[in-house]
Amino acid sequence: MSAKYSLRIAHLYGDLMNTYGDLGNVLVLKYYGKQMGVDVSSNVVSLDNDFKASDYDMAVFGGGQDFEQTIVSKDIQTKKEEINKFIHEGKPMVAICGGYQLIGKYYIGAKGEKIQGTGALDHYTGQQENHRFIGNIEIKNSENGEVYHGFENHQGITFLSKNEKPLGEVIKGHGNNGEDGTEGAIYKNTYCTYFHGPILARNGQIAKHMLISALKQKYPGQDFSQQASLKIPATF
Amino acid sequence: MSFRSSLAEVAGKSSYWILHNFFHGGSSFPGKITTQIDPKVLKHLGANYRVIIVTGTNGKTLTTAITTQVLKKKFNQILTNPSGSNMEQGIVTTFLEAKKPKTQKPVAVLEVDEANVVKVTKYIKPIAFVLTNIFRDQMDRYGEIYTTYKKIINGIKLAPKATIIANGDASIFNSVKLPNPKIYYGFKNHDESQDMKAKPNTDGVICPNCHNILHYHYISYSNLGDYFCPHCGYHRPELNYHLDQIDHLTPTSSTFEIDGHQLTIDIGGVYNIYNALAAYTVGRFMGVEPEAIQQAFQSNEHVFGRQEEINVNGKKVTIILVKNPVGLNQVIDMISTDKEPFSFIGLLNANYADGIDTSWIWDGDFERLPHMNIKKYITGGERYRDITFRLKVAGVNENIHTVQPDLEKVVDGIPSLPTKRVYILATYTAMLQVRKHLAEKGYIKGGF
Repeated sequence: MSAKYSLRIAHLYGDLMNTYGDLGNVLVLKYYGKQMGVDVSSNVVSLDNDFKASDYDMAVFGGGQDFEQTIVSKDIQTKKEEINKFIHEGKPMVAICGGYQLIGKYYIGAKGEKIQGTGALDHYTGQQENHRFIGNIEIKNSENGEVYHGFENHQGITFLSKNEKPLGEVIKGHGNNGEDGTEGAIYKNTYCTYFHGPILARNGQIAKHMLISALKQKYPGQDFSQQASLKIPATF
Repeated sequence: MSFRSSLAEVAGKSSYWILHNFFHGGSSFPGKITTQIDPKVLKHLGANYRVIIVTGTNGKTLTTAITTQVLKKKFNQILTNPSGSNMEQGIVTTFLEAKKPKTQKPVAVLEVDEANVVKVTKYIKPIAFVLTNIFRDQMDRYGEIYTTYKKIINGIKLAPKATIIANGDASIFNSVKLPNPKIYYGFKNHDESQDMKAKPNTDGVICPNCHNILHYHYISYSNLGDYFCPHCGYHRPELNYHLDQIDHLTPTSSTFEIDGHQLTIDIGGVYNIYNALAAYTVGRFMGVEPEAIQQAFQSNEHVFGRQEEINVNGKKVTIILVKNPVGLNQVIDMISTDKEPFSFIGLLNANYADGIDTSWIWDGDFERLPHMNIKKYITGGERYRDITFRLKVAGVNENIHTVQPDLEKVVDGIPSLPTKRVYILATYTAMLQVRKHLAEKGYIKGGF
C-alpha cells in the first residue's frame, strides 16, 4: 500500500557535508515519517545539481570537513537565492555545524579568510585558535520548554544577530560560542545547531515538528492531529 | 653511542626486565623511562635496522602481522611491535625488548600510529612506508582525514628516500606530490568501462586538482577503487601489484588471485584482502618469491587473533572490534557472507578509547541487517540507547530484538540464543568488558 502523503527531503551537499553521522537525520525523518503514514524520500543536491525550493518539502544540511566546506561555500553562491527562498517560505530545514555557518552571513575559514554564506540568517562565525568545543551538550528551549541533547565538536564560534533566537539555552556544554549561553538558532522552521548525535535521532521532537510543519504546508487544510499525536520515546 | 643513550638503554632495559619478570607486563613504561633520559634514544636503538613503517587508519595491525609472516620466509629475525604499542614509547620499548640481532642489517616491521610517524622518522630513516588507507576515525581525537594525512606526510618528508608502498585505490595517497619512489597496489578485478560515484556519506571523494566530485570505474568499499575525475582527467595511478580476482569469500576465509597466484587467508572481509595485498607487495619489494608468500599466508599462526572464535556452551561466538564507520561497514559486509543463520549482538560504549562521540554509528550500514539471516538481536553497553535506536531505525524487527545494557547478562544470555553462530560487534572498552566476563566464566582460557 502506498502512503497517502509523501514528502521530499533535499539533502544539501550530502556527498560533501556528511561528517559525524549527520546522514542519520535523513534516516530519522524517514523513520518517524513512516510511523505517521508518510512516505519520505531524499535526494542529494550537490555540485553538479540545480536546486529549486519548490521541488522539496524539507531540507537537511550537514556539517563537513574544512576542505569540503570551502568548496561548498563557492558552489552555494549559485544556489543562494533558492536556498534562502526555501528558508524564508518557512519550509523545515535542519542545518548543522558547517550547514548552520553557511546559511548565515559569513564564517572565518581555517586560514583566517572570510567566507560568505547565503545570508538567509544574520549570524556570523569566527574561529577559536587551536581549540574545539567537544563533548556532550544539553540545552533548553525557553519557549516550548523542550530539553535537547547532543554532542558538540566545533572550532567555529557563532554569534547570533539581535533578530535571531537561539535553539536553546545551554544547561551543560558550550553552545554557539561558549560565552553567551546560547546554542543554535531557530528561524521560522529552520533549526540551526552544532549538535551531532545526530540531532534528530536524540531529539525526535524536532523531527516531529519538521514533519508536521512540512505536511501542513504541502497539504493545507487537512487534519494532521493523528500524526501530531505520535509519541516520541526517549532515545538518549 | 653517547653516554646518555647507553644510560637510557640500560634504564629502559632493566625496567622492562623488572616489569616482565615481576609484573608480567612490559607495555610502554620502559619506553617512557628511556625517552625521558634520552629523547633521541630511537636513533641509537634503531640504527642498524632496515625499518618498514606501516601506518593508516584501518588495517595497520593485520598488515604488520601478515607482512612479518611473509618476510620471515626470507629473513631469520624480524622485529615487530605488538598491536597497541604503536606510539613512540611503545616503539622504543619494542627495540629495548629485542633480542640481540644475529644479522648485520635486521629487519623491523613497525605499526606506527599516524600522528607518531614523525616522532619515529625524526630518528630512524625507514626503507619503506606502507600506507593502508585514511578514513574518518574517531575525530574527537585526530580531526579530519586531510589533517591525518598531513601528519603522515610530515613524517615521510624526513625520509625522502624511503619507498612509499601505498594503497593505489585511495585517492588521498595520490593527492600530494612527494619525491619518494612509489609502489602502488590495488584492485583490478573489474570492468573498467563503468562510471559511478561513491555513496553520499563517503568522505574523501573530491578531486585534489579541480575540486569536483570523483567518479569511479569500480568501488571496492567506501572511497577505495578505480577513481577518475571526469572534469580534469586525474585518475588512479598505474598499479604495480594488483588483485585480479576474488574467488571465494566467507566470514572466516578469503581466496583470491594476485599476479596469477591464488592465495588464501584465514580471515574474511574484503578489507583484509587489501591488508594481504599490502603484505604481498612488501614481500615482493623485499625480494620474497610469490610461492613463499603463498606459503606464508597459509601458515596459521594466530595472525588473525582479532577474530578468534569462542566456544560458549556450544555456541560459536566471534567478537569483532568496531571503531569507525568504514570498519563497521566492512564487518557488516563480512557477516553477510555467512550462509548459516546467526545472532547479532551490538555493544556500544563511549569512553575515550571507544570514541566519546557515538554519532558515527549512523554512518554504519545497519540497514543491511534485516536482509540477513539473523534470528536474534541484542543491543547493550553503556550507550545501549543509541545503538538500540539505530537498529530500530534500520528496520530491525522488534519482536526478535532484546535490549540488555548489562554486559555480564549479555554473556549469560549467549547459551540460550536460537542460533549456533553468534557475532558480537563491540567498541573497544565494551569488547574488553565482554572478554573479561567470558574469561571469568571460563569460556576464554588464560585470561582475557
